[in-house]
Amino acid sequence: MAYEEPIRDYDRIVENCTCAFCGCNCDDLTYLVKNEHVVGVRHACRLGASKIMEDMDQRLLVPLIRNEAGELVETDWDTALDKAAELIANSVRPVFYGWSETSIETMKQGIKLGEYVGAVLDNQATICHGPSLQAVQNSGYPVNTLGEVKNRADMIVYTGSNAMNSHPRHLARYAAFPRGYFRKKGRFDRTIVTMDPRYTDTAKMSDIWVGFNPNGDYEFYTALRAVLRGKKLKEDKVSGIPRETIEELAEAMKTTEYGCLFFGLGLTHSLAKQRNIDAGIRLIQDLNKYSKWNLIPMRGHFNVNGFNIFMSFEMGFPYGVDFSRGYPRYMNGETNTIDLLTREEVDVFMVIAADPGAHFPGGANRHLANIPVIQIDIHWGPSTELADVVLPGSFVGVEVAGTSYRMDGVPIYMKKAIDKPETCRDDEWIVRELYERVQKIKGEKIASK
Amino acid sequence: MKNITFNQKKTSTIALEFDELIPDEVYTWEKSDFDKYMVPIGNSRFPLSDYFDVEVEGSAESPAEVIMTLNGDLGRVKYIGSKMTDGHIVANSSVDLHCGAEMSGGSITINGNAESYVGREMTGGELEITGNVKEFCGASYIGDWRGMTGGIITVHGNAGKQLGECLTGGQIHVKGNCDILAGIHMSKGFIQIDGNVPRSPGGQMLNGDILINGTLAMFLEGFDQEEIVSNPTVSGKQFNGKYIKFTGDIIRNGKGSLWLNAEKNRHLL
Amino acid sequence: MEYILKNGTVYDPTNNIDGEKKDVMFKDGKIVDNVSSNAKELDVTDKIVMAAGVDPHSHIAGPKLVVGRLYRPEDSRKGIVPKTDVTRAETGFSIPSCPATGYRYSRMGYGTVIEAAMPPLEAKHTHEEIVAIPNIDIAALPLFGNNWFVLEYAKENNIDDLAALISKWLRLTRGYGVKIVNPGGSEAWGWGMNVHGVDDPVPYWDVTSREVIHALAEANEKLGLPHSIHLHPNDLGHPGNYETTVESMDIVKDVAKNSPVRNQTVHMTHIQYHSYAGTNWRDFESGAEDVAKFINNNDYVTCDVGQITLDETTTMTADAPMEFDLHQLNGLKWANKDIELETAAGIVPFIYSGRNSVHSVQWAIGLEMFMMVENPWQIMLTTDSPNAGPFIRYPRVISWLMSNKRRLEMIENGEVHKAVGRKSVIATLDREYDFNEIATISRAAPAKAYGFEDKGHLGVGARADIAVYDINPNTIDPSNDYEAIERAFGNAALTVKDGQILVKDGQVVSTKESQTIWTNVKGLEEKEAVLMEKIMPVFDKYYTVKYENYPVFDNYVPNPIEVNVQAGK
Repeated sequence: MAYEEPIRDYDRIVENCTCAFCGCNCDDLTYLVKNEHVVGVRHACRLGASKIMEDMDQRLLVPLIRNEAGELVETDWDTALDKAAELIANSVRPVFYGWSETSIETMKQGIKLGEYVGAVLDNQATICHGPSLQAVQNSGYPVNTLGEVKNRADMIVYTGSNAMNSHPRHLARYAAFPRGYFRKKGRFDRTIVTMDPRYTDTAKMSDIWVGFNPNGDYEFYTALRAVLRGKKLKEDKVSGIPRETIEELAEAMKTTEYGCLFFGLGLTHSLAKQRNIDAGIRLIQDLNKYSKWNLIPMRGHFNVNGFNIFMSFEMGFPYGVDFSRGYPRYMNGETNTIDLLTREEVDVFMVIAADPGAHFPGGANRHLANIPVIQIDIHWGPSTELADVVLPGSFVGVEVAGTSYRMDGVPIYMKKAIDKPETCRDDEWIVRELYERVQKIKGEKIASK
Repeated sequence: MKNITFNQKKTSTIALEFDELIPDEVYTWEKSDFDKYMVPIGNSRFPLSDYFDVEVEGSAESPAEVIMTLNGDLGRVKYIGSKMTDGHIVANSSVDLHCGAEMSGGSITINGNAESYVGREMTGGELEITGNVKEFCGASYIGDWRGMTGGIITVHGNAGKQLGECLTGGQIHVKGNCDILAGIHMSKGFIQIDGNVPRSPGGQMLNGDILINGTLAMFLEGFDQEEIVSNPTVSGKQFNGKYIKFTGDIIRNGKGSLWLNAEKNRHLL
Repeated sequence: MEYILKNGTVYDPTNNIDGEKKDVMFKDGKIVDNVSSNAKELDVTDKIVMAAGVDPHSHIAGPKLVVGRLYRPEDSRKGIVPKTDVTRAETGFSIPSCPATGYRYSRMGYGTVIEAAMPPLEAKHTHEEIVAIPNIDIAALPLFGNNWFVLEYAKENNIDDLAALISKWLRLTRGYGVKIVNPGGSEAWGWGMNVHGVDDPVPYWDVTSREVIHALAEANEKLGLPHSIHLHPNDLGHPGNYETTVESMDIVKDVAKNSPVRNQTVHMTHIQYHSYAGTNWRDFESGAEDVAKFINNNDYVTCDVGQITLDETTTMTADAPMEFDLHQLNGLKWANKDIELETAAGIVPFIYSGRNSVHSVQWAIGLEMFMMVENPWQIMLTTDSPNAGPFIRYPRVISWLMSNKRRLEMIENGEVHKAVGRKSVIATLDREYDFNEIATISRAAPAKAYGFEDKGHLGVGARADIAVYDINPNTIDPSNDYEAIERAFGNAALTVKDGQILVKDGQVVSTKESQTIWTNVKGLEEKEAVLMEKIMPVFDKYYTVKYENYPVFDNYVPNPIEVNVQAGK
């Protein structure tokens, strides 16, 4: 990597800002601001820094509406909001998807709107850690905050997660490297284990790499648990891992003082899906008979956990909540975005702070191309190409303050550092406006009856 | 007896929800009641008569005297027979999600395939599917460790993943093949699979019986081989031939039994 | 707006009104002694009028509640009520959603609830939920008993710094008082261990529970907080723990009370769980008598009960090692939440059943405490919701307290296990609470224990928080009509909060935003600043959030009721 000159040309600095990238929610960033634009970010990883600094890249600046020729054209806020409200008010099976990259304050407006019109509210968990949540619902949730890992852990396991690439500061700030109260020598006081079919960058910096076969997760964890219970394994190898290695690993995990298991999408999206996590959770529960163990799912977006927490305290269910019958329903495979889209049931789709165009399977996107889509976002992306109404929001944690929940459930108030572009609006304001406008339309409808 | 026949007039992309149209609710209904009934679709209700022409014949004193026959394409009709306590439903088509969910009595016959969650948490009654079923047949509601507790489900075709998840009673019989994780977390009851199973039946089971007449390709370490039994009686049913009996899942101190046809599973001996 | 509640039978123990026929008037949210002729008249003839209920210990908002809701969709599904023109949809039985929590308390005629455990690091979360709960005022108690700074200062017996720490942290978290849970035990749980008894040193910190309790009680009195220390002692749920409980109460004997607004220097919570004799679950029996005797002889103690209601519920407490033991016992899904430098928590679903001998004896022990503690001002109605049962069962507990006949019936017809007869003396206790005592244990006494001078009574100047129950006290025989008692207390004829009518005939007819009660200690600003200089290097090094992002900001507390306390006065 070429040497980069430090940034010296800035007007002011803003300290202790919170990164709006991954579920680490690092809250120690320093923004260097010049002409109301962040020109440099200290402490952040490259993922976080580039997202924050390049906030004007392909930025959505004005409301857009798709005309009859099929082109997105600039319009004013009133026209765009009225059009969006009209679509929502007249829909029969609306889905409001996303929310993981905006604030809890915006979600509060979203649930009002969703409950009012009878929509499905869903977030990115439906395509990432949804299986983890299902497993949690089956087997339990032994978690800790990241500070517990930093201060106590002498063994850290990453499984199905390449934190070095996906959550770069996870190892540096919370897990592997920091010097904790009981782990004064940091990395040297800890054993790092990576369990992953691939020899990832995280595996490269680990002390132990367990490269089980793809789709062999469930069998591997079952074998590990069987060994913990004192069983002699029948097979020489389970999921490609020799019996002796499994036995050594079980012994090491048993005799450690404090362990933490971090798991990612490698576990949630291989063959046995939620049952892999189920087995992982039960493994942690078994290990607590011998020593102290917890786990934390490596959540992706900075507020994906926030939406699950928010929906749970508001309505008792974490994601995929269907208000169509006037009370919340939660049923995996029925009230989730992908299922509803591939079944072509959805008639109006609102996406906020997410990019289904880039992430959804083809079948789901095909249906999105056929129905009205309302997008609230800050950047142009594949979803914009599918959108019929585009409402430019603002950047939480940079241009607007708001609450988010870290992967371990710690709430953080992300501060505002600079002003948003004049023509954009806060997400919270946009959704509240939609709610009020939909109320007006529905009110008029009732009156006319 | 009262025969209620639903003849489909048109289909809907957004599913119709039939949870209110079960014998317990409709045994007193006349044709006019059906004609004015508004069926839930999405966040609204629409006249049932737009979608189904309903014929009513005879009369019923109780739900038990009702025979509901559904004709047409029911691929977008959810909750057929859900929570019913008595009566009979015959669906002459493949059906959508939650058919027979939480039913406690009566019978449902599906002449076609069933979507996921068929017979979820049923406590009694009989459910017969002539075609295939998708995932979570006879399973629990998510989060609950108590799944289906009674009744009989018969699947003539193949079954999807996590059949009988958290099974707490009753019987499930699959005449075709069955996907992974059948009977996961089960604590009671009986699952019989006549076809093949790729892997992981009975994962984390605590008790109950799973019997596989076909071939099990891949086996879990949580099971110990007990013995080879000739002509065993499993859950009150006699089976001819030799079966290998395993117990598990030991990772949960389980006492469940996994019976494998010895002939077809020599590779596991 | 002015109102007059006409002709009700008023029970207001604080003002020595015991079943008098009396009009109650209120104006602009306060109780007044006269109103103009424009006042709206509400006829409550032959009905009971009390101050709105005050729940001294309940778990309704915060991170462990949300884990409960998130991982028990099967519980959420149980309490589903569709939205109405007034109310939002409700979900949940043992762990209701936030809107459901508010509506359900309102329907029982409650106006104020204490959230009994708030981890400071996640206090923002607790406050977000408080804002999402409608209709009731809520105070939250931050957890201090396993905080690293507390452990350090308690070991040094450094009461000055401890007082400054409490003062600072109540402001940082917008908390109300000092909660202590299994002192030292939850920190030991950081290593998968626990402490047993009050003299078992905490691993590494080398401080005992005795020292922590005493130091926090002294600091609490030094500040003169409106509530005393709120203690969940060690050894919860262990056979033989009554000795630890008695010892724990004894620890603060020499601490002088420094507050005119309350009577106690220690509040013992869910005392039922701490009144067990025996040595294991086989010879387990009631230890209520010794605990009750101590409380009867020492007026510096108050307690709430944590009555078992024999339901399927969700247990959740900051006593995390206990929850792991519970999981080992019942095998149901275990959730845990360890919070850096501060505390831990555990959650396990639990099915309390009258067919189980242990659960039945636990049921009896709670009732024994109610019967044996003589002064109703020292004992309060709770189910430690949702631990021993959800709060919606309070009306049922009231019916048990008012009817010896019902209690005996339950024992005789097998609704509880016959072990109750051998292992407790509940069948021999024929005390029956009267309405005045019920009003005491469910509103007057809790308000007093928390130093709420404008709640829990109907005197002039008090908040117009009023409950009306459709019971004619002159004609009803609670001993026989226990079902009517349960029905009436579960469906208030009227619930008034700050002068607004929220419930009519058991139905929520209007809603209002909740208010957050917190204690702002004044006068220690300089000491706090000095203390923070000492704390900051540790904070920066071992927490994973920046101090600047740690506090609960004003936007999380949109409707505060700020209780100002001059330190030491």
